[in-house]
Amino acid sequence: MSDPMGIDKVEASDAELVRRIRTGDIGAYGALVARYRDRLGRYAVHMIGDREDAEEALQDSFVRAYRSLARCDDPARFGAWLYGILVNRCRTTGARAARRRRMFVHDADALNGATRPEAVERLEWTDAVDRALARLAPEYREAFLLKHVEDLEYEEMSRLTGAGVSALKMRVKRAREQLQKFLREAEHV
Amino acid sequence: MFEQEDDIVERVIRQLRRPVSIDPGVDARVMHEIASDAAPESPARRPLLRSLPWLAAAAVLAAVVVARPWTRGGNGADAFQFVLVAPQAASVSLVGDFNDWDPARSPMQTAQGVWATVVQLTPGRHRYAFLVNGVEWRADPSAPRAMDDEFETPSSVVTVGGRGS
Repeated sequence: MSDPMGIDKVEASDAELVRRIRTGDIGAYGALVARYRDRLGRYAVHMIGDREDAEEALQDSFVRAYRSLARCDDPARFGAWLYGILVNRCRTTGARAARRRRMFVHDADALNGATRPEAVERLEWTDAVDRALARLAPEYREAFLLKHVEDLEYEEMSRLTGAGVSALKMRVKRAREQLQKFLREAEHV
Repeated sequence: MFEQEDDIVERVIRQLRRPVSIDPGVDARVMHEIASDAAPESPARRPLLRSLPWLAAAAVLAAVVVARPWTRGGNGADAFQFVLVAPQAASVSLVGDFNDWDPARSPMQTAQGVWATVVQLTPGRHRYAFLVNGVEWRADPSAPRAMDDEFETPSSVVTVGGRGS
């Protein structure tokens, strides 16, 4: 079974965990953190571009969500509600500090095999994508990630970002065009 | 040579959809930070165990213990919840002088790697540890260490304050 965010429900439902937290079961919140950490972390890393800042934003979002849990009107949609908090938190981070980009190895296999030609090529491609993403305007990057990486519907994106559907479609289109342009430029450097 | 536009963008999307490894210490740091809060919508704010400051150091580990008053019991005892973030563990029991170090009396329940149990603690000093996978005796290295353990196994100390703490 999936919620409107497309997140599969396993073990206790989000609604059940939220109910337990509200009765004082702090451990139930740990289960929610474990459930959403990696997916939300991926968005934060790509949106902010710096792993440390992304993990700080993620951690802060989880804490804010816990402290605001009384305002989560529909516990069954906790994931979508949490996403909204993270989207706003990432915007704050982006506005507060100059975007810092660091190339990072994505997994142990890439690290161990970085001397092989195909691994080097993969790392170069990864770096090119990171750099192209970094060059997008924040609102374009946000729309592109929510639509194509997090696989959200435009209506859900509109609720999370406050932007209209037509504006979001335009941002996604521009993001696609610019990514293609930036990656072609990178090819010729 | 790059592909057509749609191929390039689809390749970007496939790249960005790959899992990104997030420091599992995020879990511990979140749990540490919210441990100092009252439960959401909780009608009463209760004092924390005095031993909580060691959580700051524990938060850099993949595991953390959160102990907080839960409900008021009889005989001056309060119920305290212990939480251990240990995604790799197959089983965890809380053992201590409050349950005669018997792992069968306080098995911890897990939800996605977060292990929790609730025990009654009276005001005073208590020694405890976690038995992971039935064989690994674990005391948090940054917790106050029990120095008077006649069994020579690592254990930690928590101090439960009285009503005024």
